[in-house]
This record gives sequence, C-alpha cells and structure tokens, in this order.
Amino acid sequence: MKKWLLFSFIAALLVLSACGNDKASKKDSESSDETLTVWAMGEEGKLLKQLTEKFEKENEGTKVDVQAIPWDSAHDKLLTAVASGNGPDILQLGTTWVPEFAEAGALLDLTEYMKEHPEFAPENYFDGAAEIMQFDNQIVGIPWYVDTRVLYYRTDLLAEVGYDKAPETWEELQDAAKKLADRGEGQYGLDIDQNDQIMPFIFAWQNGYDANLKENKLNFDTPEFIGAMEYYTSFFKEGSSQVEQGEEIIQAFANGKKPMFFSGPWMVNILNEQAPDAEGKWSVAVMPGKETKASSMGGATLSIFHNSENVDNALKFLSYMNETETQLEWLDISNTLPSKPESWENPKLQDDPMYSVFGEQLKEAKAGLQTEQFERIAQELLSSLERVNAGGADLKTEMEQFNKTAQDLLTE
Amino acid sequence: MLKHKIRNRHPYMFIAPAVSLLIIFSIIPITIAFFISFTDLDLKGLANWSNINWIGFENYQNLFADDTFLKSIFNTLFYVMIGVPLVIICSLGIALMLNYGSNKLFSIFRSVYYMPSITNIIAVAVIWGYLYNTEYGLFNYILSLLSVENIPWLQEPTIAKISLIILAVWKGIGINMIIFLAALQGIPRAYYEAAKMDGANRIQTFFNVTLPLLRYATFFVTVTTLIGWMQFFEEPYVMTQGGPLDGTLSIALFIYKEGFQFSEFGYAAAGSFVLFIMIIIVTLIQFKLRKSDTEF
Amino acid sequence: MAILNSTKGKTEKTLITVLMIVGGILVSIPFIWMITSAFKPESEALRIPPTLLPENPTLENFRHLFTELNFLIYLRNTLIIVFFSFIGLLFNGMAGYGFAKFEFKGREKIFYLVLATMMIPGQVTMIPVYLLLNGIGLTNTLPGIILPGLVAAFSIFLFRQFMTTIPTDLIEAARLDGAGEFYIFFRLIIPIAKPIFAVQGILAFIGAWNSFLWPLIVANDESLYTLSVGLSLLQGQYSNNFALQMAGAAFMVVPIIIIFSFFQKYIVEGFTMSGIK
Repeated sequence: MKKWLLFSFIAALLVLSACGNDKASKKDSESSDETLTVWAMGEEGKLLKQLTEKFEKENEGTKVDVQAIPWDSAHDKLLTAVASGNGPDILQLGTTWVPEFAEAGALLDLTEYMKEHPEFAPENYFDGAAEIMQFDNQIVGIPWYVDTRVLYYRTDLLAEVGYDKAPETWEELQDAAKKLADRGEGQYGLDIDQNDQIMPFIFAWQNGYDANLKENKLNFDTPEFIGAMEYYTSFFKEGSSQVEQGEEIIQAFANGKKPMFFSGPWMVNILNEQAPDAEGKWSVAVMPGKETKASSMGGATLSIFHNSENVDNALKFLSYMNETETQLEWLDISNTLPSKPESWENPKLQDDPMYSVFGEQLKEAKAGLQTEQFERIAQELLSSLERVNAGGADLKTEMEQFNKTAQDLLTE
Repeated sequence: MLKHKIRNRHPYMFIAPAVSLLIIFSIIPITIAFFISFTDLDLKGLANWSNINWIGFENYQNLFADDTFLKSIFNTLFYVMIGVPLVIICSLGIALMLNYGSNKLFSIFRSVYYMPSITNIIAVAVIWGYLYNTEYGLFNYILSLLSVENIPWLQEPTIAKISLIILAVWKGIGINMIIFLAALQGIPRAYYEAAKMDGANRIQTFFNVTLPLLRYATFFVTVTTLIGWMQFFEEPYVMTQGGPLDGTLSIALFIYKEGFQFSEFGYAAAGSFVLFIMIIIVTLIQFKLRKSDTEF
Repeated sequence: MAILNSTKGKTEKTLITVLMIVGGILVSIPFIWMITSAFKPESEALRIPPTLLPENPTLENFRHLFTELNFLIYLRNTLIIVFFSFIGLLFNGMAGYGFAKFEFKGREKIFYLVLATMMIPGQVTMIPVYLLLNGIGLTNTLPGIILPGLVAAFSIFLFRQFMTTIPTDLIEAARLDGAGEFYIFFRLIIPIAKPIFAVQGILAFIGAWNSFLWPLIVANDESLYTLSVGLSLLQGQYSNNFALQMAGAAFMVVPIIIIFSFFQKYIVEGFTMSGIK
C-alpha cells in the first residue's frame, strides 16, 4: 500500500510540474502584449505598487506587475536574468550597478527614443545623476530617486568646543574633530566607516581630484588624490576617528562619543526613531570642503531590460515615473529624494531645514567612477587604507602599489 | 536464475531517483562549471556568449600567483585543523551527556542544545558581535574583572580566526549532536550489560563498547564536518567579511567575492575547483584510513 | 546505561544535570535574545549592552509583520516545499539503503560521485543550474523551485552509514519468507531506521522551511515566494530593521521547535527497536 503512496507522490509531482509549465507559458504570452513587469528592490518594491494603480488608470489596458526583490540577493537574481535573457521589462538598479550591467549590454540604449521623450534629457537631472544615466555614449536609464552624503553633527557638543556652526573647511573639520576627541578617553571626533567604498573618493573629489576614464587614466598618483588619502588617514592617526569597530554609530552619536559622521538622507528617520534622546541636539550640514564641497551621488535608476518586447509601454511608464508630480508623491510614500532639480522647487523641499541641506549638497554630488571595475578598485583602496590605519603601513608605498593594481584592473 | 536477475535490478531502482536528480542538478552543472574555469567568463560573457574566450590554464596560474588566494588557503587550513576536532569532541561530549538521562528534563535540553543551529544568522551576528566587541563586549568585560587586558577578538588576524572558530563550533554542535544521539540509541543495551558483567569500568566501557559502535556515525560526522569546514563561509561572511587584512578570508568567501561581487565567474570557478580537489584529497585519505582500520 | 542506584550515582547524576543546565543556558543566550528582541521597539533592539528582557515590550513588530506580508501565499508555498522535501527524504533513504545493503556493479564509483556533489561550493553551480532549468522550461514554476534541492548527498551518505549497521541476516530472512524488496524497505527497514529518519526529517524540514535562494531566483512572480523570501523583503537598502527581522526570525523558528520536539521522541524510541539484534 505504501508503494502506491509513493507512486502517487511521483505522479503528483509530475502533474504539478505539468501544471506549473502551463501556468508559466500562459503568463509569458500574456505579458508580451499588455502586462509590464517591473523589478524593484526591497521596501521600494512593495511601496511602488501604490504608484502603479494611477498609471494603470491613465493607460487603460496596461497592467503593471511589480515584483519586489530583496536587496541582499538582488544581484544574484539579476545575474541569472542576464544569463538567461529572462528579465523584466523595467528594472531598478542601484547606482553602482549601472556601469556593470550596462557594460554587459543588459540595459536598453534609450538614445533613439530621446526625440520623442525630451523629458529624459540628462540636463533635467542633477549633474551626478546625469553622469550615472550615461554609459559609453548611451542613455542606459533614467534617475529615479537620488541620495547623497552630508555631515551629521551634534550641535550642542560642537558648540562646546567653539563651533556654533558646522565645520565648513577641511581645516575646521580636522580641528573640531581633534578638539572633540580630546574630551577624554573613549571620546572621538568624527566617525569614518572604513567599509564605506565611496568615502575616500569623496575626500579626493573635495581635493580637486578627477579620473580621466576616456583616456583610461585613473589619476591615483596625482597630488590631489594622495593628499586626500593623507587627510583620510590623518583622522585615524590623530585618534579623532576610531580604528577598531567600537560602538554602533547611532548609539555613539546619541551618547555623544562620536559627535560627527557622514551619511545619507535615510539616516534622518533612523535617528528620529532610534535616538529619541538626541532630538533637537543634532543637525545636518553640507560637506566641509577644500577645492569643492563634493559628495557622492547615490540612489536608483530605472532601466529597460535589453530584450523587453514592451518598449513603448515601458517608456510610457518611465515617463510617468519621471513626472514632477509622481516624484513628489514618491517622496511622500518612500522618503527618498527626487532626481530632478525641478521637483526641488516645491516649497515642501525648499523650506524644510533638513531637506534643503540635501538639496544643496545634491548640486555638488558626483557619481562613482563609471567603470564596471569600480567596485573592485574601491575594495582595493579600502584594503590599502586599512593596512595604513590598522596595520601601520606607509601610505606612500601603499598608494603606489594601489595605483598599479587599479590601473592594471582598468586596462585588463 | 531468472529470479536472481530480477533481484539484481533492485539496487538500481532504489538509487535511481536520487542519483538521477543529483546527476541533473549537480553533476552536469559541476561539469559546466569545470569548463567555465578555463574561460574568462564575466557578466559580459553571460549576457552574450560570443564574448567568452577560452584561456586555458590562465585562471589557475593567476590563482596561485594571487596572494589573497594563498592567504585564504592558509586561513582555511587553520580553520579546519582546529575547528573540526573541536566540533567532533564537543558534539560527542554533549550527546553523551544528553544520553545520560531519559527524563523530561533531558529531552527538553536536547532541544536547547540544538538551538544554536537554528538561531537566525542575523541574530547570531548581532549577539556575537556584541560579545566580541573590543570595548563594550561581554567577554572583555568579564576578562577585565580578572584584570586581563582587552583582547581584540575580531581586530587581530590570528585572534579573529580563533574567534570565528569558537562561533562556528557553537553553531555546528547541534546537527552533529543529534546524529550522535541517534547513533547512541542504536547501541543495544545488552552490550553494556555484558561489559558490566566483565567488570569493565565506565571509561573502559566507553572506549571498548561505545566508541567502536559509534564508528559509522563518527566516520560520517568526520567526513561531513571536514567538507563543511573546508567550505567555511557563513561566519566570516557575516562577522568580518574576510577582514582584518584578509585574516579571516576563507577559500569559499574568496570564491564568493570573485564570483558575485566582482562577476569574475571564470576565475571563481577555477578557485572552486582548486578547493574541490583539496576536499577530494582529504576525503579520500579518510576513506583509505578507514578501510585499513576496520572492515568497510 | 543510566540505571544507577548507589549514592555515587546520585551525586553524579546531579552533577551532570547541573552541567547540562548551565551549559544549555549559556549556548542558547543568542537564541533567547533573538526571541525577546522580537518584542522590543527598534531603539532598544540594538542597544549596547543588550537588554535580555524587553524594557518596553511591544507587539508592534508582529503587527507590522503580518500586515505587510502576503502571508498566506508565502505560507502555502513554503508548505508545498516542505511536503516535497519529505518525498526527497524518501528518495535519499532509498538510495542510502541501496548503497548500504546491495552489492552491485559500480556501487563504489556511483557512491563517490554522489559524495563529490557535496564538495563543490553551491555558488559556482548556481548559474549552470539556472540555465538548465531555463532550458527545460521550469523557471517560474514550482517544480523549478523544488527539484534542485530535492535530494542531497549529505542525507544519502547519512542514511547509508546508518543502514550499514542493520544486520543483513534480517533482510535475508525476510527475502526467504518471500517478501518483495520494496515491502522489505517500507515494512522492515524504515521502522528499524526510525531514529535516523527522525534526524533527517528534522533536517529536511528546516531546510525546506527556510528555503530562500531557489524560490527567489527561479520565481519571477511573487506568488511563488516563500516565507524567508517574503521576510527579507522588509529590509531596506540602508535601514536594517533589526527588531522586525527578529520578529520574523522568532516566528519562523516556532514550527522548527515543534517539529524538533515531535521527531526527537523517535530518536529515543529507536532504542528498543534495534534490540532485536
């Protein structure tokens, strides 16, 4: 009798697989004419569904099917999609992933549609975002929302060491951090996340550094870059920043041990929720600068998958997402910042003391190096800096070595 | 004669479903991966197969010239040599302890000792991160009461390796423990009684009765634990990402980073075949030792 | 082995019990923390030093969890995977039995081949497996999610090790009585091997209950997601909602504990069975 049970299990499996097949193929044929599939990440994927209803109403007969994909595993999922060509019509990409997938040819070049869709012109976006949407003379996506790093600081503690305003220059930042760290044992001035890939580059840009990727020059041997790395490591050398992994930043910021750090707009809510004790005692400010007050451009773009059969509808959807009105609605839903300066003219953003700082910083936000090797190069740089900060290696020799490795990676 | 033939078909019927699924979903993919290891496959190649180039042994040559990879081999051997014996001894010890009594309390604690292996990995990372925190961690707090100086649990390459081993032993006990428990239950009580009649004391009984009768389970636990530790991945991935200064980077983590962070699939595949061959060698040695030891 | 009547035996028993309790509490602290954190507000979840018991207990995390997820769909998918994982378990048991108790051509070779599948890191074969599934049209289907993980070398090996210890005479006697091979397997072998089936049942359940990667990669439709995938959707790019994640983890672990306490009885029961020997 058990034998029969076993066979019926196997039969069930076969039937199930047959049904599964049927369902999938039906879905595929359906999706080619009217359903638009969108892959969006994590929370955003869930929230996006609130916006698609309106689009479906405006474009009758078009259905938008949003699939939310967890951030942690999104990269794996995208890899298999690229490998099989079995992707969505539209996908959300984090800014650092754009060059990688564009290089692989996974993103549709929108150049030929620019005439019909002047609203996608790069001039309509913040400079940093416009950099990201272009790869190799192609338009590979439109900026959806943006973010940038700014300085978070404790107003009360900075006032105690003589700063009524946030530090505005490199010298002031260094000085303030030193004074704050001198408050005593276990007190620090500025927290620098040593795993943050973009932070060294932010300092480098502020020091006037720029890569010349057109000629394949990374310029990591220029005095601007090396000077910035000296500045970066000086915080650890002088004890203004903690080398070891200490207390978690939100708590250390709330109890005053680490009164300054750099982070993005998402931190505003986190601090409000998790550090209620520090309420009213902190603020945000534009990056202290040297040559410039540069920061990094982050956020997400929306791209069309290279073999989408639904390009017209996909473009319509991008256009809808790009409207100022939609961008502002999305701000309300998700607390992420609009990518077009035009949207920022709205008083809701202009008059808000926190938002306006981000608006100011976005004008000087730059994109990471637009090469698919960026992640690797940044990782090499962090390792070199770790050897200097924790291992006591010599900065000059490390930088020479790093420059060689990085240049090899690029020309490989 | 005819009957004999039919009977001979049976073993294949028993193994066929499992083996055919393994062939489709493991052996064929491994073979594909083997070919990939001789190519420069990256994301570009994945999108368009005409971008893939056959590069012979270049990946393998580069691997052995890659200091990071060599370091990861060293780290992995370090993990295996300390971790594997520890896990086996601890899980056998706990299984014996839990097997000592059979009342309700003992059966509850069987679940308790199994909990580490079902604790969510994020909770593991948070709590152990706190235990190991140099300044605020519980371990250093206790040590400071004994006026021992702060130990940089995760900040110094060698100590960090040991810290991860402790964590992994804690996490790995559960599964091996229940295997030992199941094996202990299979030992007929008569054997113990016979030993008792012969006047054997507890220790003699353990070495002459329990341990030999556990040999199939011990062999299994040794082989699978060794394979598992050769592929040591999750602990460094969540706790240190391979740092400090690549001090905790394991081969499996190296492969993961190359393959999925940097999309160098050819290189990652080559790395995993090096690991594969290392594991095969170690496992074959175990099977050989085993054969000469007792009947197979 | 624990029938001891002397006073020496009593003190020993007390000692071992105390040792077991203290050790058990120590090793399960992270687990306890995981459960209690599910009832903490976010601001308390990550505090250093951690609080073991929530200061301001709240059910908010669970409310959030159940309202944000398509709970029933995820649960249904997960249960289907669990169901099939038990069929996989049966396949593994059969194969283990085949390798343990039959002499046949190529036994050693095939068994080494099976073992070899355990030795290659799963990440390397992920893309080939996906392409294979895509080739046979199983992407975005339930079988595509279930099949790659249905059988496991680890499990076959474990079955083989344990079934080797079953006396061959017993099987031969049944054969002489005219029992068919499958009859022997289901009626004789499975009852004898109950402890190991219980162990494997626990492992199979946990594996299937937590299945994450294949449901995510194979599914192009959220209606095929499992609970684990659904839970990980609650995470933002930068914000780590720890308390919420712990609520999810705590919820996920409850059925595991139930299954464990259910099956572990059989691990002990095997005791009497193999006394036949």
